[in-house]
Amino acid sequence: MRVNVKLFGTLGQRFQGYRQEDGLNVEIPDGARVKDLLVHLELSGFKGCVVAVAGRIVKPAGLLENGMTVHILQAGAGG
Amino acid sequence: MKFLRVNMGSREVTVEEVPQAYMGLGGRGLTSTVVNAEVPPTCDPLGPENKLIVAPGVLSGTSLVNTSRVSIGAKSPLTGTIKESNAGGTVAAALGHMGITAVIFEGQAPAGELFIFRFDENGDGSLVPASAYKGMGTYALAEKMLETYGKKTSVLCIGPAGEQGLTAASIQTTDVDGRPCRAAGRGGLGAVMGAKGLKAIVVDQRGKSTDAIANPEAFKEAAKAFAKAVKEHPFTGQMLPALGTAGMVAPVNSMGAFPTLNATKGVMEGWEKISGEALAQLIQERGGNPSHMGCAQCIVHCSNEFVDKEGQYVTSSLEYETIWSMGGMTGIDDFDTIAKLDHLCDDIGVDTMDTGVAVAGAMDAGYKNFGDGQAAIEMVEEIGKGTPFGKVLGNGAAAIGKHFNHNRVPVVKGQAIAAYDPRAMQGNAVTYATSPMGADHTAGNVVGEYMAGALDPLKPDGQVEASRNTQVAMASVDCTGLCLLASFALTTPEGAGAFLNAMNAKFGAQMGPEDIPAMGIRVLKEELDFNRKAGFTSADDRLPRFFYEEPLAPHNKVVLISDEEMDQALTF
Repeated sequence: MRVNVKLFGTLGQRFQGYRQEDGLNVEIPDGARVKDLLVHLELSGFKGCVVAVAGRIVKPAGLLENGMTVHILQAGAGG
Repeated sequence: MKFLRVNMGSREVTVEEVPQAYMGLGGRGLTSTVVNAEVPPTCDPLGPENKLIVAPGVLSGTSLVNTSRVSIGAKSPLTGTIKESNAGGTVAAALGHMGITAVIFEGQAPAGELFIFRFDENGDGSLVPASAYKGMGTYALAEKMLETYGKKTSVLCIGPAGEQGLTAASIQTTDVDGRPCRAAGRGGLGAVMGAKGLKAIVVDQRGKSTDAIANPEAFKEAAKAFAKAVKEHPFTGQMLPALGTAGMVAPVNSMGAFPTLNATKGVMEGWEKISGEALAQLIQERGGNPSHMGCAQCIVHCSNEFVDKEGQYVTSSLEYETIWSMGGMTGIDDFDTIAKLDHLCDDIGVDTMDTGVAVAGAMDAGYKNFGDGQAAIEMVEEIGKGTPFGKVLGNGAAAIGKHFNHNRVPVVKGQAIAAYDPRAMQGNAVTYATSPMGADHTAGNVVGEYMAGALDPLKPDGQVEASRNTQVAMASVDCTGLCLLASFALTTPEGAGAFLNAMNAKFGAQMGPEDIPAMGIRVLKEELDFNRKAGFTSADDRLPRFFYEEPLAPHNKVVLISDEEMDQALTF
């Protein structure tokens, strides 16, 4: 399946040529979970990574679906 | 340790030892304890019985990083409650270097008279006539003060809004570059300062009388370890230096909690245009500074210097809360307009949050269209000019609601909410409702719990406890002078341990981890006690009805915390 990934905070800097308006189109196996996507993007070891889909924070075990837009954020605590 | 009382009526300045009852206190702990002990709870906030207390944190002026917050306390003319609002910049460190524990301004200058209170390099304070500066904006005033007293000078001042006694008036402080762009914005304390006839406090930065540290070697070690923890924390070491607090635009919109168009939606259409990522890129392209050091001893550098298309300075720092209030709430999605509004607010001396929410309220009431940037600029300019409409707007969102007979006004105890919608972050509903300060995110923001996945923001379970814990933690932090943002390093064992060691080394104490929240609980008790005596009851600890009745898209939730649950939040 294919998901569109938008990266926020400083995460975009880890992907050469990343453009915020386009995001990343990522092919991952059907049935993949959030943690699989993070591994695929080599972000699983990145401290403070948070994933949100459709306005909700999704835990690592959360299932992804084809066509989803996935926001990968850096955890913040206020401002 | 010097404790000053300045009688604005008689112009008498008294220097005394710190009274026993206030010993060991600093920052919010000191301002709130003094207000509760010395200010008649039912007094007119703009009358002579109110007092304005300025107190650096207990660690301000030491070598511990990010401890440059100055607390300012009084009875608030905006909320009628006790109030502490704190600001960064350089003044806390300057006061700390002089060994000043607090300055208490009492009484009132004779009508029409205006003064500056100046600390010279020996730490001696005196009142200086300042009628020449009447009506002056804070930028011009700060420039004059630095010209007159030298570049090594910190300024804490009000603009025209404070002089007019407007209840959203801020107190501005200068940053490391001498610009009055840091604010103790909330609660209208600028109006209290104006009512006393005090235009500015000017502090020489060359003081050399910092209070002694009980165990200097241990303090040095702890300070080093704490700085390491701040640098290594992903939020304080990576995200804030890169994007500043504006980095929160993406997460909060991604969670559907960004109050938009006067809190009618939880996601702003086109929010990416005003995100932290877009801001950093724009500043970089124009030759500004996206990672600026705004406050003394700051190693986070969350500040920025926003410049226009020609590369000329507009404002510093463009922060998340202002981007929200002047952008999300009003539907204005261009940084140039938002930055101009930020500069205007700083110069006139009004809270960007209450003012932005007031502008949004006026738009929602049909006075102007959402998204009309020019109209927003003209409205805010009216505050500085002192027009009848400007006076209403400068009294904040609640006053605008009354003016237009419009009941969708997101305020609690008269103070505007912050950039986290309480329907999509139920813990923040508890904080807004129950904080002794009125709606205030800095009193106990639960967003970190949601991002950590520790709590579901849309369900009522666990929210009261989460709000209570953060309110206690923030009350503790606010005593020390530590910046709220740097305080997130305290969430790691290394950071928390180092900070506790620094406190113990400073005071020669043997505090344990449990003593830190105990400090916060003590402060909250003082504040709740004052509010009770001022006539506030649990009936005041409620959000406006529309938060309970109008579901917020995209989650279509209302506030789910019952009154009974709200009443359990701060029972100590």
